[in-house]
Amino acid sequence: MTSIPETGMSTPAGSPDEWRYSRDRVLLYVRALDLPPFRGLDLAVESLKAAGPASVSEAMRKLRELLAENGLDRGILDEEGRHISSMPSLNRGVMVAEPLDRVPWKSALGRFLRRWRRNLFGPWETNGHA
Amino acid sequence: MADGGPVPAWRRTGSRRRLLLLFIVLIPTIISSNTMARLLPDRGSILLDTFLVAVFTTLFAWISVGFWTSIAGLVILLTKKDAYRVSRACDGLDLSIADRSARTAILIPIYNEEVKRVIAGLRTTYHSVRETGSLEWFDFFLLSDTTDPDVWVEEEEAWHRFCIEESAFGRVFYRKRTSNTKRKSGNVADFCRRWGKSYRYMAVFDADSIMTGETLVRLVQIMEARPDIGILQTPPKAVNRETLIARVQQFANHVYGPLLAAGLHFWQLGDAQYCGHNALIRVEPFMKHCELPRLPGKGPLSGDILSHDYVESALMCRAGYGIWLTYDLKGSWEETPPTLIDELKRDRRWCQGNLQHTRLLFTRGFFPAHRALFINGILSYGSALLWLIFLTINSAQAISEVLFEPVYMPILRKFLPELPVWRPHWAISLLGSTTLLLFLPKFLGAFPILLADFKARLYGGKIRLFLSILLEVVLSMILTPIRMVFHSLFVVSTLLGKSVGWGTQSRDDRGTTWREALRAHWWGSLLGIGWGAVVYWITPSFFWWISPITFSLALSAPISVFTGRAAVGRLFRKAGLFLIPEEVELPPPLRALEDNLSRPDPFFPFPFSRKKGFLRAVVDPLVHSLHTSLLLRFRRGAPSRERARDRIVEKALACGPDSLTRKERMALLRAPHHLRELHRKVWRLGDEKAAARWGLVPPEKK
Repeated sequence: MTSIPETGMSTPAGSPDEWRYSRDRVLLYVRALDLPPFRGLDLAVESLKAAGPASVSEAMRKLRELLAENGLDRGILDEEGRHISSMPSLNRGVMVAEPLDRVPWKSALGRFLRRWRRNLFGPWETNGHA
Repeated sequence: MADGGPVPAWRRTGSRRRLLLLFIVLIPTIISSNTMARLLPDRGSILLDTFLVAVFTTLFAWISVGFWTSIAGLVILLTKKDAYRVSRACDGLDLSIADRSARTAILIPIYNEEVKRVIAGLRTTYHSVRETGSLEWFDFFLLSDTTDPDVWVEEEEAWHRFCIEESAFGRVFYRKRTSNTKRKSGNVADFCRRWGKSYRYMAVFDADSIMTGETLVRLVQIMEARPDIGILQTPPKAVNRETLIARVQQFANHVYGPLLAAGLHFWQLGDAQYCGHNALIRVEPFMKHCELPRLPGKGPLSGDILSHDYVESALMCRAGYGIWLTYDLKGSWEETPPTLIDELKRDRRWCQGNLQHTRLLFTRGFFPAHRALFINGILSYGSALLWLIFLTINSAQAISEVLFEPVYMPILRKFLPELPVWRPHWAISLLGSTTLLLFLPKFLGAFPILLADFKARLYGGKIRLFLSILLEVVLSMILTPIRMVFHSLFVVSTLLGKSVGWGTQSRDDRGTTWREALRAHWWGSLLGIGWGAVVYWITPSFFWWISPITFSLALSAPISVFTGRAAVGRLFRKAGLFLIPEEVELPPPLRALEDNLSRPDPFFPFPFSRKKGFLRAVVDPLVHSLHTSLLLRFRRGAPSRERARDRIVEKALACGPDSLTRKERMALLRAPHHLRELHRKVWRLGDEKAAARWGLVPPEKK
């Protein structure tokens, strides 16, 4: 891990361990963001300076503020600056299962019986509203 | 589209050819069964003998179909005369697609797969399509059904990186389903419902499929020229494995496969089957006719149809569209399971799926050719049980001959005894004809190779080619009894109502450990030892007849370990055995695949594996941003659900990521607000121990 650049930075108060801890965390975040090297380091230094030796939490809070001020916390955007989407726009269609007559002899028998009944007794009367 | 139209000429030819097949299968089967019936000693019970003959008849007819298919394939490949070759439609055409609206979606359904391999395959096909100059006609979809939180995040990140590296945004898409309804067929149907109307065709891949751009363009050209075709299936070649068993499968696929593919085409013509991948499908009729219903009832033969591809082909044909096998198109590859245990795991799923087809055999409107395919699928596993029963009854009969006194005067009033007559020439001719049916097609497979290149250079030379075929025969004789007992177990357990889960197929050459082998094969070994011991004790002369089976079973664990070793496979390769053309001269797409697999990973600053997807979604700011951006739902859930998620966040902060179950991780990955909160809180952790659990402490400090 590289040390914090000393350029223009007054010697901070607090124990060196606390500083190192905050420095490592902030630098790790900046490295993971894959920012251009100098920009990332500038932001890290600035956040550490502003937070002081208080705590990691404070340094990270400050770093987040700086990222927001610089427009670097807007998530992953596409080439036109919109939120990225991994799918094309919907073009919905219908896909419905057709019924399968798996026992055709059973349905054939049913059809035969219905036809036979109709021939014998005429069509089935279902006049429910009479 | 083809509803009510005139009957195409191929349908009449197909009917005639299938009638011929029926004839040439039935006549020898009747003769052999008759011989078998006469060979059986009359002292067994009539019921037992009838059962033995019935089982023999079924098995003999089944292997005869394979034999005649190979002969038909050989005739086509040698004469090169095939009036119904479907690729005629693109003969003489430039490698381009004329109609701008003929767009194709390439679908890669994935389920907890090795992400690096999937992306390498995608990149290979993407580059190959781009090289044809037809990329604008093709879109690519990674359709994920992944249930592993780590793999989910890895897939998203890999997709995003691919799109950046190849400038493929708007061309390559990623979709993660929330629920895995109907597994792979449901995944494809989900695509069809959302975007199917935007495409005329879709090419369905497996996670390990590779197809060249040229093959894809040719398939589209054929479909464009033949609007009566619903599905075009390519015969994928098996490649890229190094274990012995997989190399033997690859060799068999290359030597016997072309014969079988051409032969199947000869009988089936436009009633071929769709294999579920490496095929081009016409989307509109597929959406209209091929959605699969759930099979009613309870138990493993009900519910979602597992082997969906055969049923989809039957439905497509019922709707009036043809399904053709482009047996002569190259540039389509797949990978085989690397070990015997992986193969058996896959067979467990396929067995249940094929047995489900028993419930669809008589479905109204299905074509006889597809009913025959269903029966073929059922017999692929059912034959193992029949064979096991056949051998068991044979052993039982041999034992009974020793244990029980022969009765020469079965009917008291008869004056002449009934003496058993042993007709060795009949037995030998029956054994010979069965052996011929089983093994001759394997040697016939060498003919087209030798005709194309007399030296058979791409198979290691003439001598090594024949030696490899001989060794393949020996190895399949060793492996067949092991497969037989497992397939029998699968059939019985399926029929007894034991259902199967959805496992991920292993796609690397990691091999089989002794522990895995013993756990899988102990009962088979015991069966082999017990069977052999009993037969040897009672009737030693019969033992030697049954010994190839009992020895294989007894040694199944070492056989499984030995054949699953990549080092053994490589040894055979070094000796020039089981060589396939792709191993001798690597084709450019497979070389590209190798290069893509060895691409270096991008910079990663954290001290944990980049495969820990959940950890990365929480900690890595870029992956976290990507994941939350891709989650479309930003609405808060019901209060009870929100409280449950709050508790998971608290637990994660207090005890670290390892304390979370897979379900809890998935719940957090689906909740962008909570994930964001966790991300912020983790990065602000002051306690060094707690931070180390999330990989925020550099390794030198730990």
